[in-house]
Amino acid sequence: MLSDVLMRLRALFRRKAVEGEMNDELKFHFEQHVKKLIEAGMPREAAQRQARLEFGGDDQIKEECREARGLNLLETFGQDIRYGLRTLRKAPGFTAVAILTLALGIGANTAIFSYVNAWMIKPLPYPHVDRLVILLSHDKKKGGTGDSVSSTADFCDYQAQGSPSFDALVPYTSWYFNLTGDGPPDRILGGLVGWNFFQTLGAHPMLGRTFLQQEAQPALSHVAIISRGLWESRFAADPQIIGRAVTIQGETYSIVGVMPADFQYPLMGVANMWAPLALDDKQRSDRETSWFQAFGRMKPGVTQQQAGAELSAFTDRLEKLYPLSNTNQTMVLSPMLFEIGKNEGAREVLACFWIVGLVLLIACANVANLMLARASRRTKEFALRGTLGASRGRLIRQLLTESLLLFIAGGAAGTLFGLWGVHWIESSIPDRIRGYIVNYGRANLDLTTLSYTFGIAVLCGIVFGLAPAFGSSGVDLNRSLREASGQIPGSRLARRLRSTFVAGEIALAVVVLICTVLLVRDSIRSIYGDLGFQPHNLMVTQLAASPTKYKTPAAIRSFHDEVLTRVQALPEASSADTSQYLPFSESNQVKVIHIVGRPPAEPGEELGAEYSAITSGYFHTMQIPVIRGRAIESGDGPDSQKVAVINETLMHQQFAKQDPIGQQLEVGDSKDLVTIVGVVHDVKLFSLTDRPMREMYVSAAQFPSGDMSIVARSDRPTADLANEIRSAVWSVDPDQPVSLVRAMDDVITERNTGERVLAQMLVFFGVLALLLGAIGIYGVTAHSVQQRVHEIGIRMALGASSSQVMRMIVGQGLKLALVGIACGLFVAVGAARAMASILENVKPSDPVTFLAVPSFFLIVALAACYIPARRGAHVDPMVALKYE
Amino acid sequence: MTANAIDLPQGTLDLLILRTLALGPEHGWAISERIHQVSSQVLQIHQGSLYPALHRLERRGWIKATWGASENNRRAKFYELTKAGRKQLETEKDEWKKLIAAVAQVLETV
Repeated sequence: MLSDVLMRLRALFRRKAVEGEMNDELKFHFEQHVKKLIEAGMPREAAQRQARLEFGGDDQIKEECREARGLNLLETFGQDIRYGLRTLRKAPGFTAVAILTLALGIGANTAIFSYVNAWMIKPLPYPHVDRLVILLSHDKKKGGTGDSVSSTADFCDYQAQGSPSFDALVPYTSWYFNLTGDGPPDRILGGLVGWNFFQTLGAHPMLGRTFLQQEAQPALSHVAIISRGLWESRFAADPQIIGRAVTIQGETYSIVGVMPADFQYPLMGVANMWAPLALDDKQRSDRETSWFQAFGRMKPGVTQQQAGAELSAFTDRLEKLYPLSNTNQTMVLSPMLFEIGKNEGAREVLACFWIVGLVLLIACANVANLMLARASRRTKEFALRGTLGASRGRLIRQLLTESLLLFIAGGAAGTLFGLWGVHWIESSIPDRIRGYIVNYGRANLDLTTLSYTFGIAVLCGIVFGLAPAFGSSGVDLNRSLREASGQIPGSRLARRLRSTFVAGEIALAVVVLICTVLLVRDSIRSIYGDLGFQPHNLMVTQLAASPTKYKTPAAIRSFHDEVLTRVQALPEASSADTSQYLPFSESNQVKVIHIVGRPPAEPGEELGAEYSAITSGYFHTMQIPVIRGRAIESGDGPDSQKVAVINETLMHQQFAKQDPIGQQLEVGDSKDLVTIVGVVHDVKLFSLTDRPMREMYVSAAQFPSGDMSIVARSDRPTADLANEIRSAVWSVDPDQPVSLVRAMDDVITERNTGERVLAQMLVFFGVLALLLGAIGIYGVTAHSVQQRVHEIGIRMALGASSSQVMRMIVGQGLKLALVGIACGLFVAVGAARAMASILENVKPSDPVTFLAVPSFFLIVALAACYIPARRGAHVDPMVALKYE
Repeated sequence: MTANAIDLPQGTLDLLILRTLALGPEHGWAISERIHQVSSQVLQIHQGSLYPALHRLERRGWIKATWGASENNRRAKFYELTKAGRKQLETEKDEWKKLIAAVAQVLETV
């Protein structure tokens, strides 16, 4: 063992000495032999010739000695690299195409993996994220799981009893803060959070402190923490910000801390301000409503199962104590990471991850094919090296080294390409929705990603380098030397390998293409489609009347009326109206409805409908068609009969055999009685993929609300309208925050960001796969034509026509393509089924996709075969036969 | 090449080299000459197999090499058996005898 290592080291570091000794030794042997022959009576010259003949190849002996000494491992590796670099440099076209192909494949994988890395491997910058779980209400009878705690009192009791499973339990909810004073009034999205919110996550403020326990009492809760973004934009990064008084919802709060830019709690979305969630005694004993969510940090060593069992034992006790409110109510746990992943389209990212993996395989197969084709042109070189003493193992190692060099260069170029890809994805995410996206939508190009990139490069380099290495090193030396003029189509093994690669490549390309087409069709349907209203040239403004300033419904109504009148008077606005909730806004409300005259619903079986109070011209401004009856009109004032308009879905579901017009509804807990006067078209409220929902509208004059949004329509696209609306509102009340004056088109585009980015990426991957597949089949056909010029020449000399030759070549290419497409279709059926859960608008067996992709591919394959076939058909038999 | 030379069976070359070196340090040429003579001109070790074999045995630690002066005072590389090499020789000798006996038995009975 030791002698082995020593010899290897000596061979490596004292190369010259070792080589010299080997020369001396062989020379000594040679001379001794000559001497012996001379002593036997031969003349010196004859003896030398005789000895040389017997000796054979000096180099071959040396090569074998080197191998026997084990000089080869590192030493020859260095040689192989130098030789490999030289050969690659000598074939710049091949090298460039191979590296470019690999760079595209590896780069796409780098970009996608950096998101997998950011979202799934290291999604939250907090310690021991695996111990963070979300508490979710759960109905044991109906099986539904809500996203908040079962009730305020249930949560408070559980927190107060000191759970053995949790270090801390933290309530939180999204919240709007109306910030006034110091500049224009602003409506800031943030959260009310338990005092221990930041400590439990493990996040630290960059300035000041987090909340104290006593600040969870309502009397002491007028403190706020702000984000770095808000600190910079609103407070000019004032270093003296801590302790500064600000006016929030008309009351004085003092700022106690600033969170750093990378602080994020994705389940709460965009948040720029946090205040303590302080509960008074009345709220603490409320077992009916739940208006906040909660997470907990489990004690070290406690499993989710143990904590869940303990929690459900607790809710069982509550069920016995409070049967009226808590029957069938319990809470379940869900890992925070899972809940975040659910929101983040983790499944789409994973689908992309698989797809780019396949694209990489196609790219690798292409490069392996190029290497095989090139190797078949190098048979002479290999044969020569073989006779000069290189063993088969040595040749394989040489080819593997060349392949690894190519793949590593491809990996390096791919990293650059990946960087560009990541930059493109990052910049397509609008700032406003970054808050919802883990890591604010930034990718994670760290050591893990880089290791992954070079890991796949090396792995693919070995796997895909092995085939060409074995395929072309196994050639019979004598035969190749004789045939090395290039006419003989390489070894049979190499040829079969090439065909297998191409068929496999086409199969993979078909799978990728079908998956991407399915996903893109799905995305397109959720981006473009009938919204139920006309979003172009529509400006949206959210307006929340401060409850401390406008205390009575009449005051609220007159404020809204005044604002609306001024907006309507704007020259840019052709019409303007208000609605309590707007489609694609961040808020909505579902109210329980009961149709008067029908039997009361079973508990838990009540009807709910999306509810909104609107002004009379709303349907006109939004261009929502009225189907039956009438719209809400200006005559529907506070003193006239209370009216409602329902949507088509509600009509079809509940009034199939009855005219809804004139029917009465009891709405909400207060059981307000309204009469249905009209039916309107369904409106998509959240996304184009919404399932049909029951919707109803009432008159804002009859049901005034503090939260109203203005929609103003202009005749042409205009940016001025936004500023005009802002001034109009401030002319009525200079303290009124006007948040989100935005074009409806922008709001919707932003909503569709995920689908859009995904669709664009997928189109790119699909085109890449198609292109690589086409190049693959083209390459193989072209290569086989080139190798068979001689044979084609003979065929033509014997009377074959050009069209016969062409048919033969195209036929062989097509056969490969057909085999590939058939295999691809088979796999694609399974792949599409695996994707069923993320396909919302297309069926996994979508016939259009499954027909169009293979047909299209066949056409591409035909074209790819046609070009070389035409060249083959124009072979001049005389030239071809003389070619040798 | 002598007419009555035969090809060596796989693996026997190492045994012959070790056996030859058991008599004392020797350089490559002398090893091949001695085997040639002792085998009554039947076994001819070609350089192409001799030197790789010597280097292989050296790497395994069964022989070691030193540079010394040859009988006619030329610089030559001498190989000698190590302790491990002596042990290896015994093992291979035993195995060879067993093999011969077994082959002979088969040839006679069949």
